[in-house]
Amino acid sequence: MLKVDFAAAAAGAQALAVGVRPGGVLGAAAQAVNTDGILTRALATLKGFKGEDEETLSVFTADGLRVLVGLGDGDEDDDEDEPEALRLRRIGGSLFIDLADSGIDHLTVALDLPAELAAELAYGMRLRAWRPAARYQSKPDPDEAWTLTAATIVTDDPTAAAAHYARLDAVAEGAALARDLVVAPANELTPPAFVERVKMLESLGVAVEVLDAGRACLTLLQAVGQGSQHPPCLVVLRWTGGKPGAAPLAFVGKGITFDTGGLSIKDDEDMDEMKGDMAGAAAVVGTLHALASRKARVNAVGVLAIAENMPSGRSLRPGDVLRSYAGLTVEVVDTDAEGRLVLADALAYTAATLAPRVMIDLATLTGAVEETLGRHRAGLFCADDTLADALFAAGEAEDEALWRLPLTDRYDEALKSLAADLRNCSWDDDAPDALHAARFLQHFVPEGLPWAHLDIAGTSEQEEDGPLAAEGPKGFGVRLLDRLVADAFEE
Amino acid sequence: MKIAFAKPALPTEGALVVSVLADGVLSPTAAAIDAQTGGLIARAIAASRFEGKKDQTLLLLTPHGLEVSRLLLVGLGKPDEIDALTAEAFGGAVVAQLQAAGDTLVTVAVDNVSGASVFAADLAAHIGYGAKLRSYRFDKYRTTEKKDEKPSVKKVVITLDDHSDAKREYALLQSVAEGVFLTRDLASEPANVIFPASLAAQASALTEHGLEVEVLGEKQMRKLGMGALLGVGQGSECESQMVVLRWNGAEDKSAAPIAFVGKGVTFDSGGISIKPAAGMEDMKWDMGGAAVVIGLMKALALRKARVNVVGVVGLVENMPSGTAQRPGDVVTSMSGQTIEVINTDAEGRLVLADALWYTQGQFKPKIMVDLATLTGAIIISLGDAYAGLFSNDDDLANQLLAAGKGVGEQVWRMPLGEPYDKQIKSDIADMKNTGGREGGSITAAMFLKRFVNDVKWAHLDIAGVTWAKKDGPVTPKGATAFGVRLLDRLVAENYEQK
Repeated sequence: MLKVDFAAAAAGAQALAVGVRPGGVLGAAAQAVNTDGILTRALATLKGFKGEDEETLSVFTADGLRVLVGLGDGDEDDDEDEPEALRLRRIGGSLFIDLADSGIDHLTVALDLPAELAAELAYGMRLRAWRPAARYQSKPDPDEAWTLTAATIVTDDPTAAAAHYARLDAVAEGAALARDLVVAPANELTPPAFVERVKMLESLGVAVEVLDAGRACLTLLQAVGQGSQHPPCLVVLRWTGGKPGAAPLAFVGKGITFDTGGLSIKDDEDMDEMKGDMAGAAAVVGTLHALASRKARVNAVGVLAIAENMPSGRSLRPGDVLRSYAGLTVEVVDTDAEGRLVLADALAYTAATLAPRVMIDLATLTGAVEETLGRHRAGLFCADDTLADALFAAGEAEDEALWRLPLTDRYDEALKSLAADLRNCSWDDDAPDALHAARFLQHFVPEGLPWAHLDIAGTSEQEEDGPLAAEGPKGFGVRLLDRLVADAFEE
Repeated sequence: MKIAFAKPALPTEGALVVSVLADGVLSPTAAAIDAQTGGLIARAIAASRFEGKKDQTLLLLTPHGLEVSRLLLVGLGKPDEIDALTAEAFGGAVVAQLQAAGDTLVTVAVDNVSGASVFAADLAAHIGYGAKLRSYRFDKYRTTEKKDEKPSVKKVVITLDDHSDAKREYALLQSVAEGVFLTRDLASEPANVIFPASLAAQASALTEHGLEVEVLGEKQMRKLGMGALLGVGQGSECESQMVVLRWNGAEDKSAAPIAFVGKGVTFDSGGISIKPAAGMEDMKWDMGGAAVVIGLMKALALRKARVNVVGVVGLVENMPSGTAQRPGDVVTSMSGQTIEVINTDAEGRLVLADALWYTQGQFKPKIMVDLATLTGAIIISLGDAYAGLFSNDDDLANQLLAAGKGVGEQVWRMPLGEPYDKQIKSDIADMKNTGGREGGSITAAMFLKRFVNDVKWAHLDIAGVTWAKKDGPVTPKGATAFGVRLLDRLVAENYEQK
């Protein structure tokens, strides 16, 4: 956790970060502390420092620590389309992590930035400053402890920067919550524990309703969870920041707290990350948290389909046929294609009872989407071009990138069942399963309701440190949806 | 099977095909026959589930009151939805229904459809085209097939008032169909028949249609520094080849050409990183990209396309042997960039790397499009409904998307991007030839992009669409020749002098 404030001057800072552009060009704040040319000399000595994005160089001076921060020149070929805000977030994130365990506890950052960009820089620092709760380690290594807990960002209009940052901070808080939920082990974050955690949103003015899957006739959700000792449930979160009675935006999340695959059990290698199979629901919770904290002027509902997928004496079996909430019958040929089952009921329920104007679901749904788009873009399936374009734009703007994939009836043959209206997946190992899954879900969405499905199986977690998050959960989806709401739907 | 066009006249033998529109609305010819036969067609429609929907058919044997042996009703659907693809599917359906029924002559009566955006002549030409495309059969190795299992239809006559217009239009389409058939033949031939030298010989035979063909052998390629391509072929007994086909149909013969580059791995065992036995026989069509380029060049030459085009195919066989390339080997490509070969089964990109570099340097093309059965990942990404399209140029990508929709060979654009490029960083060379399981088609495209300079370039990953497991409207099961019609359309719409 990093505490951020903004000030008009850097006077007296012990640890001060200043900006340098390529070619060793010092920014104004850097020149002000270039006493006796010490920074110029440091740059001349250390030729490895080029002043590019994400580079930092620490110089110890009689006045205190000076950190040279590379600012790049903003028009490298590779990133010519990158918005300046994103660039500063990256620079902020890298600066934080470079100094996190350096021993200093407070850093003043004077990169000669206008108010909004100063806030974006702080946002990057704040996002990067998340890590899993200390309680998961009994003996934390003191050398790895983060000392940097506060930052003061210097800008000519601190009040404007603080106002802009307040909004971003709310989103960072939501992203941090989503990461907390994904990183929580499955013996801690069981379905009932997940529900308890979500109830804390009530303090922000979010109404939380919990439905028993069986009693609500959510047969598919009930069936996926029936093998577990923890009963499955559907959670409905309501944020009413817009006109009373106005149709809400609906965000639906897959929340499988652990996915063993059920009787179609996964091999150990595939099971390893399965505590994170609720990342879609976590992103929905994080988004609602962000919208409520920043008092977004919009009505939004979050719907979480929560279950644990376990093999046991009462598990769902391959071959079982179920009548879904929507009435369509489904043959379950593979119990490990469970995400589409719980979402099918959640989508149908949301459309039928919450009357949304737009419905977007997020799910760590298929391995196929990882093979398709890797870890840098999530799959976007949407029949509505306007909504698809708005989502794509939000993804580019927030660096939570999407790529549109086909949603078409050309794969219907693969979903035909001999026993029911649909089967939940194809048997073929080479099948385009991400496309099949999206098409499967489409059967449960009423025609005419703008709907998008985001398959985030490849993007919810990362395998190496990035500028805005360490290896592990990214909170993928929170920034994206917050931006979508702000740009396309907020009053 | 011969396609002919003639004036309207009711046949006295064989099968007769008439069209029916949505909701059972009879075409003029169908209505006339209905009247002549005392309401036969109306009764048949009433007694069946046939409603004239697109792709629906209803076959009546020995229809009372007619001299023909069969009357086939084919649905055209709603008039305002009829387009060239509807007509092609119609022609395909006719062949699928009647090809082996026993008749040798089929007559298709085509009428003007009021409310349709295409004229009878276009409809007729595309019905003929669809019938021709669907009639393809690769049966040269079936020596014991009984006569009654072989197709009986020898001739399809399409009758309409504007038959000479239709004939003229069909002549162009027939050129494309011949290109398609060559591509299907080449992809269907087994790898003991089609190997680099024999495929090069097939390509060389196209000089009879006015193409210039040049074949480079290993010695010449070694001189050019094509270490990436040569490494792939070094385990095989067959000499690797590169074939350059040129068609100069533009008024200005020296105008910059457009270039098509094809992957031609005549058999891909995987090499030392050998593939599992199951399904390895499919790897005879791992030269599908090269086959498309060769078929396309034939089509363009036959229809005397007014454009300068160069086709380049890299032909190798990927085999394990004592001389084969090993995982871990580092090769130097013609571009000078070095490649660490992590997996010898990611060989297509090695072949293309040198072929692309050679093509852009040698011919300075306006655009360069490559086709390759490149990755298994594209099958998991898009299945058999779309080929993957990767491009550094939005205009070219949009032209390809539009051409694909127009001919029914659909492509779906996939992303490129710096983050994916990181996956192919090598510890010891400039790059490695695999980027792992994640985004496998994209990292393959990023690999190719390293061998493309400023030229407008598109890469089509056709691994999922080159071979059909079941019959399609105009494509019998087997080699589809996906890409020939697409690229012919791309050329015609965007690069040909009008």
